[in-house]
Amino acid sequence: MLRITGGKVYDPANGIDGEVRDLAIDDHGRFVESVDGGRTIDATGMIVFPGGVDVHTHVAGGAINFARAMTPEDHRRTQAFIRTKSRRSGLGGMAPTTFATGYLYAGMGWTTVNEAAVPVLSARHTHEELADIPIVDKTSLTLMANNEIMLDQLEQGEYERAKQVVAWYLWAAKSYGVKAVNPGGVAAWKWGKDAKQLASPIEGYKKLTPGGIVTQLARICDDLGLPHPIHLHCNNLGAPGNIATTLDTLKHLEGSRAHIAHSQYHAYGGDGWDTMCSETAQLADYFNTHPNITTDAGAVLFGDTVTITADGPWQHLLYKLTGRKWGNLDVENETGCGIVPYTYRPSNLVNAVQWASGLELLLLIQNPWQVFLSTDHPNGGCFWRYPEIIKLLMSADFRKECTRKLPDKIKGKITLPEVDREYTLYEIAVSMSAGPAKALGLSHKGSLGIGCDADVVIYNQDDDPARMFGHPRYVIKGGEVVIEEGDILETPQGREFLVKPARDPDIDAFMRPRFEECYTMSFENYPVEMERIEHAEIRECISHAP
Amino acid sequence: MSLQVIDNATCTFCGCVCDDIQLHHDEVRIHEAKRACVLGTAWFLNHTAEKKHPDALVDGREASLDEAIEAAAALLHAADMPLVYGMSNTTCEAQKQCAALADQLGGLLDSHTSL
Amino acid sequence: MGGKVTCTLGEVKQRADFIVYWGGNPAECHPRHFTKYTIMQKSKFLPRGRKDRTMVLVDIRETKSAKAADIFLQVKPGKDFELITILRAMIKDQHVTDEQIAVTGLSREVLDDLVGRMKGAKFGCMFFGMGLSMTRGKHMNSAALLTLAAEMNAFTKFVAMPMRGHGNVTGADVIMRWQTGFPFGITFNRGYPRYNPGEFSTVDVLVRGDCDAAFIIGADPGATMPQPAIEHLKRIPTIVLDPHVTHTSRLSRVHITTAPQGIAAPGTAYRMDEIPLPLKPPLKSPYPTDEQVVRRINEAIAAKPFWMPEGSQPQMLTAQV
Repeated sequence: MLRITGGKVYDPANGIDGEVRDLAIDDHGRFVESVDGGRTIDATGMIVFPGGVDVHTHVAGGAINFARAMTPEDHRRTQAFIRTKSRRSGLGGMAPTTFATGYLYAGMGWTTVNEAAVPVLSARHTHEELADIPIVDKTSLTLMANNEIMLDQLEQGEYERAKQVVAWYLWAAKSYGVKAVNPGGVAAWKWGKDAKQLASPIEGYKKLTPGGIVTQLARICDDLGLPHPIHLHCNNLGAPGNIATTLDTLKHLEGSRAHIAHSQYHAYGGDGWDTMCSETAQLADYFNTHPNITTDAGAVLFGDTVTITADGPWQHLLYKLTGRKWGNLDVENETGCGIVPYTYRPSNLVNAVQWASGLELLLLIQNPWQVFLSTDHPNGGCFWRYPEIIKLLMSADFRKECTRKLPDKIKGKITLPEVDREYTLYEIAVSMSAGPAKALGLSHKGSLGIGCDADVVIYNQDDDPARMFGHPRYVIKGGEVVIEEGDILETPQGREFLVKPARDPDIDAFMRPRFEECYTMSFENYPVEMERIEHAEIRECISHAP
Repeated sequence: MSLQVIDNATCTFCGCVCDDIQLHHDEVRIHEAKRACVLGTAWFLNHTAEKKHPDALVDGREASLDEAIEAAAALLHAADMPLVYGMSNTTCEAQKQCAALADQLGGLLDSHTSL
Repeated sequence: MGGKVTCTLGEVKQRADFIVYWGGNPAECHPRHFTKYTIMQKSKFLPRGRKDRTMVLVDIRETKSAKAADIFLQVKPGKDFELITILRAMIKDQHVTDEQIAVTGLSREVLDDLVGRMKGAKFGCMFFGMGLSMTRGKHMNSAALLTLAAEMNAFTKFVAMPMRGHGNVTGADVIMRWQTGFPFGITFNRGYPRYNPGEFSTVDVLVRGDCDAAFIIGADPGATMPQPAIEHLKRIPTIVLDPHVTHTSRLSRVHITTAPQGIAAPGTAYRMDEIPLPLKPPLKSPYPTDEQVVRRINEAIAAKPFWMPEGSQPQMLTAQV
């Protein structure tokens, strides 16, 4: 039991904007009206937020573990968590170890994370890693938009079958939802090709187009009643002029719910690297007139990182552009992944446009319930640098100071210098917690309301938002004080949320011969057993069909 | 005597890790490993559930499991730079415990890969 | 140079029309590799199976695997790195002299033909074994081959994969990476993981006599390591976990018999392409599993004083020195 008294509470899920309120937490780690006894934290003069929720990050599984193997030089210089009698050691940096991932997220007040890209074939591995990330609660999304068994059904016009195939895969992976990466493009990459036109048939298919995948997969997510809609990484990531593809993709989604991942990488004008510019204003306009879709920024911060994505063809291009290390892993029938270390430099015009574009989207999309804080960790920057972004959002002066360091040629390529908006604390609380929790369909997260999970972060009020958000005074996870004055007190095991969508009884029989044709493991050994998930909690599916 | 059958068993002898093996066993010994190769067959058929070795040996003498665990913990705890090595012929679950052991001891951790 | 361009084995089964085995002998060491994953498989893209695929074997001697190959290239011992480097030049039409080619024991004609086939493939895959990675040049050979595969993607789809042997060594690699950031050769002697093969790798540590106790599991170094390393294992307290009393058990202070994995111990093992598979043990062993024993040793050590005094170290270093 725990009481938090006297703090200035920001709880957007319940419309509370900086009012002094008391919170009470019971022994089950949930908010209640009142408790008798237990510890009281006097939060007088402090700021109280719901714990942070990361809607899009890459922290566990084959791809990030590949990135760890490729960046030993970073592990050697980065943050090191020293072993104690009860706490495992770990390394931070571009691709942190699992234990350090938990410490770093909790250390800045984030208590729920969504691993956004999981191949079913290695889902067993991903869950093992998620179990080794302490403190935070977790969800994971299954890569579906290049799954050939599913694509074959769409090609044949068998929408209902395709829906059943998706449901089968989600349960096999013990997953929370559907991720779509470069629809059709990763499948084409298996032959060294890509899919850049939404209306052109995909390599190896006669009729099926990326646009067709987008529309139908979004509908499948709604029809299955998944708590989180399609989570879409659009075609043509990173390419100059890709705003046209992105806007076209959004039109294919009309009538469905959708979450667009890391929009920053999809909002460029120009027709080459020299002419590349920000077209975030166009994209923000679309969001401002379509309240049914959400997005996360995929903001870029200057410095070293490692890029990892299921978008194999893009990573091949990045390898050719940079000449740096290149990792690639194609996953049979399902997807792929590529890994390239990268350094974003303010002196590089393309990087400067990217840096500005991420911030522009966060500032130009009016409703904070539609655009969330993310760096597409580790692609745009490491998640533990989020407080730097919060500072950029809260201070127009600080933004101007940073913008002055960009090359002169940036003039006319970005709109950031003309934007004066500054985020309020309330808006930050929406963007880092209440908004992503709502988009994920995690109604018990991102809220300080009665019955919700008691994940709370308490800050000392500070004029420097980077310092304030980087060093919370207390972090409370499920009612337990896990961080106090920067010290990690407890490292409880978090939970994993997943869904069990309705499936036809004959879907196993349908899948088996198709599975055996293209996979190399036994059909029976493929699904992850429920007992392999530590502290699993199944969330309900409610149909969103129109 | 009728044998019990396990379908889609996984062979860990080599890096192929074939998981389509059908094992016929009588709880003590595996009599047949269908679809296994010559190496996998030898691997499956050469192990038994019989008690052929002592539970443990400490300084060359037979010892109980409890005594051996205490002795191992005492020797490792007393060392300044203990080494945890191997991990090829064992499960991931044991490997995780090995990594935890080296972490707790402040020791060295290494596998066959370094050879 | 660096990285790895690879795929899961099902991609090879489905698509690879050009397969190279380099410094490996799958016919005898990975007997089902051909039939289950590579050349013998039929797929929707390669409906005629073996007839739709070309297999090349590169090795220093004609092993049993050569019978399965369409093309056998006998490279001179210790000249793999030179051959790979020449191929990297030839695919880019860079000049290579006859003398340089002669060093490898192969002819220009043969290499021209090979390069033509590599570029003409729709999907090429190179598997490499210990004949490449454990001979003169060692990891430099592996890195060169991985780079050749990466560079081939300028012309067509190409991947490479190590032929990992020895049961679940891949699992150890994967787990150490997510728990420590590094795949092997790790020390925790500063309280956090550091990596330096050559310094923290076992043979080097043992030959130098750097460690003062050894815990050996799922391996028998007493049978396989160089004599000076074995001598050090005899000098220090060594602890062994194994289903059998091994060579190493006989030189150890403590041996504990455990259940063999996949036969009497449940759990998970990783395939060479890093795909995890569940184990289905048929037998019930009279012995505990490795996991149970190591867990109990961990608990017994946790009950003793921790090696670093409480509060003597900061919680975190913001940057290592």
